[in-house]
Amino acid sequence: MAPGERALCVRCDTVMARGSRIGPDGALAFTVTGLVLAIPAATMPFVTAAKLGSERVSLLFTGVASLWTHGMPEIAALVFLCGGLVPIAFLCCLACLLVPAHFGRKAAVAEPFARFVRLLGHFSMPEVQVLAVLVALMKLGSLVDLTLGPGFWFYGAMSLAVLFAVRCFNLQAAARPDPSAPPAAAKAR
Amino acid sequence: MNPDSPSNGLRSISTSAALATASAVMLVPANLLPVLSTQTSGQAQTNTIFSGVVELWSQGLWAIAVIVFSASIVIPALKLGGLAWLLLNARRIPRADARKWAHLYAVLDLIGRWSMLDVFLVTFLTGLIQFGLLATVEPRSGIVAFASVVVLTMLATQAFDPRMLWREDDRHPSPVSPS
Repeated sequence: MAPGERALCVRCDTVMARGSRIGPDGALAFTVTGLVLAIPAATMPFVTAAKLGSERVSLLFTGVASLWTHGMPEIAALVFLCGGLVPIAFLCCLACLLVPAHFGRKAAVAEPFARFVRLLGHFSMPEVQVLAVLVALMKLGSLVDLTLGPGFWFYGAMSLAVLFAVRCFNLQAAARPDPSAPPAAAKAR
Repeated sequence: MNPDSPSNGLRSISTSAALATASAVMLVPANLLPVLSTQTSGQAQTNTIFSGVVELWSQGLWAIAVIVFSASIVIPALKLGGLAWLLLNARRIPRADARKWAHLYAVLDLIGRWSMLDVFLVTFLTGLIQFGLLATVEPRSGIVAFASVVVLTMLATQAFDPRMLWREDDRHPSPVSPS
């Protein structure tokens, strides 16, 4: 598809595919960027809190570990999945689809895999976690002295990379066409 | 699996309805039980989702209060209400209106994730604010109920197949149309 072009479902106007303005390699670029940024996001200091001389450095998953020890393993697992593991698994899946296509080996994607990737996309919510951290920082205000660490900025950049990768990538175009799906008509924007 | 077969369409509605009902039940403890307890210099305070919003508002953080209120109270309510409406009417919707209903479904699908805000918030605060007697934040059981509401509504939306809205074969004949 040409840049700026969109394919809409003729029945319900859902955007089925989008011609990326950055070109076909845009999705791959954002995917690789996201995967690279995930490493410092998870390992570098996320936020530092200080109160009356004592200081506490938290990493991305400090909250998860803390919930686990407070007897809420199910919430800890949910946050670990939605904020960490699922976005990374999602990027890995995109990379698996995009890297062979980049080298000219575009294989048909099985429908169960496409459905799995769509499900991962639904439960990948790093941007929600970024908003939650910003809300927490405002909320804490004067209670403790807070400093944002590099981990937070890497994580924020990673969540943007995920959003842009999703925007550039169209699963429907990569996936084998589903014979029962309603027909799609290309409309130039 | 063929989504156009009548039995699969019905299964999509009943699975989605079951998940939505479970989530409506969990909405009660999610809003009544405390989600967070804060101890600062010996003073203990527990907050439910709503009292957390009120506290933000009274601190003068109106914008943040509105964000949290929308994500934690308005979105789950809208989502469950919209989903209930969609599920109750899915088999009666005139074909001419299907596009409008599909838009409603797309909006419900898009906004649901933002309800996770409170779950992330409680997790982050629990991890960060551990200063012993000076300041400590602990999670309370309400957050488990709230997280289950969010996950169940997301799964309910996923289970509903919007292609149902265009199917003719297993619909009840419309009472107004001449047969």
